[in-house]
Amino acid sequence: MDSDLEENLKSFFQLDYPSYEILFSLANHEDPAYAIVKKLLESHPQVAAKLIVSPVVLGPNPKVNNMVRAYEQANNDLILISDSNIRVTSDYLKRFSKQMKDKRVGMITAVILGYQAKGIGGQLEAIFLNTFYTRWMRVLFFVGRPCVVGKSMMFRRSVARRFGGMNALARYLAEDYMAGEAIRRLGLKVVLAEEPVKQYIGNLKLSDFWARHIRWGRIRKSQVFLAFLAEPFLGSVLSGVLGAISFYSLINTSIILFFVFHMLFWFLLDLPLLLKSENPKFSTLVWGWFLREFLALPLWLNIAVGNSVNWRGRKLYLQPGGLLATEV
Amino acid sequence: MMLADFHVHSNFSDGKLTIPAVIDLYGQRGFGAIAITDHVGESRTVIGKAAGHLGLCLTPATFPLYLEILKSEAERAWDQYRMVVIPGVELSKNSISNHRSAHILALGVSEYLSADGDVAEIAQAIREHGAVSIAAHPVDSGKFEKQTYHLWNRRNELENAFDAWEVASGDRLFPEVLQSRLPKIASSDLHIARHMTSWKTILECERHPEAILDAIRKQEVQFRFYRDKNYEQSHLHHRRDIESLLEHQYLHPNSWNLGQYQA
Repeated sequence: MDSDLEENLKSFFQLDYPSYEILFSLANHEDPAYAIVKKLLESHPQVAAKLIVSPVVLGPNPKVNNMVRAYEQANNDLILISDSNIRVTSDYLKRFSKQMKDKRVGMITAVILGYQAKGIGGQLEAIFLNTFYTRWMRVLFFVGRPCVVGKSMMFRRSVARRFGGMNALARYLAEDYMAGEAIRRLGLKVVLAEEPVKQYIGNLKLSDFWARHIRWGRIRKSQVFLAFLAEPFLGSVLSGVLGAISFYSLINTSIILFFVFHMLFWFLLDLPLLLKSENPKFSTLVWGWFLREFLALPLWLNIAVGNSVNWRGRKLYLQPGGLLATEV
Repeated sequence: MMLADFHVHSNFSDGKLTIPAVIDLYGQRGFGAIAITDHVGESRTVIGKAAGHLGLCLTPATFPLYLEILKSEAERAWDQYRMVVIPGVELSKNSISNHRSAHILALGVSEYLSADGDVAEIAQAIREHGAVSIAAHPVDSGKFEKQTYHLWNRRNELENAFDAWEVASGDRLFPEVLQSRLPKIASSDLHIARHMTSWKTILECERHPEAILDAIRKQEVQFRFYRDKNYEQSHLHHRRDIESLLEHQYLHPNSWNLGQYQA
């Protein structure tokens, strides 16, 4: 169960928007979220909300299978899909729908900020989201190759129908990325929300962090292979090593000193991003940042040597060169 | 009589226009049928793999979305313009050598077709799939681009393997193909809107995908040079080409002036 689930879900009942409906999708009645959603529905009768427990097997993507019934039952054209670990502010829907008024916009996604992290894995996750991920997400949008993250995304159902809707997306593990790709190829814009969206991280172990990033990384590897190859060079450690060796060869500088200054300089560039998050202590930010940077390369190597992912209790195989996934 | 173009690219491979933009471009000009034919690269060669990773060709992953968008846009094209849109692909075998390179169009596809294997096997697979197979730009296209001579080098062996061979591509007519006994078709190989000024095929059949594909198989075709005032090209050779078409009876003598179709 996601951390602070009740508070996260409650935030969707408190949206300042004239008319909207909330559809909760659960895979089964045994889901621990079931009781929480029932309680929230009873305590907020003024909001049009429904709980739908009726998974369909459209394809290998469990998230799409889980939410397809809710998608079919939605009454409005404007759809906002959000994961349960997202907590929103009351103006969330207003801000998103304002951007959708531009008819050239086909989809809105948001930069995710990690909040309330606990445990080593949690701290690493928050630091990853608030530095490396945030930076490159913005760069990708800036260079016109948007990457949609399905934790929070808005689109029109009438537009999704043009590329086959949920039925077409169920064959992909990264349904969010492919939905963005389809919308971009239709000639519509995929834009970033004006404000980031908060993801409550909670207590994660190092192994949780590692497993989650193996999954994320292997999906990236299968869908944007060339970008994946470039990833180690976008981090501080490998670029620092290469820089230190190059400067040593060219002007005989100290390899160690160059590397230390390089890492400190990189840390200072990330520091404003780190300080924007709600992390408890400066010392946590320091050790967390350095640990994540030094783990990035071994993590990348681990991602590189496999093509399968574990997701929601299932082992899925990502087909080379594509996004299709089949159960092992 | 309807104007048709059976070799058109979109941004699902190396074309610059989106599929909706292609539909509007042709629909607004009164075309009766088009086939959108984005590249499919080989899965086992370095060039094919690189093209896939760079988004310059369809892959097994992007093909389903391509087909879905073509389906929904075909409905719109019919409702809005009474234009038939045929789903197609251009199976592209690219090698460093032009003599080992070949591009094959498949018109009327409903599933992913591989560009791997020998060209004769590919052509056979296209027909087994119920689609029309076309040898694309088999001779020197006269442009500064990758040339594909493999099919032409094996034309005697492959004579019956294809339903048609491109006798014209873009603004160039191919005299070698015109003078041959091979079945023919003319297309634009459109990648950008400027390529509208180019050779096209004219059909006289029902506006229905099967009837159109049958007309190609039966060679009930004529060819016209289509001049679009918005997209003039600088180097045109069509006057000499029209004379060749008249000579080979791919234009009715009493309608030679239609050889240039002014948009």
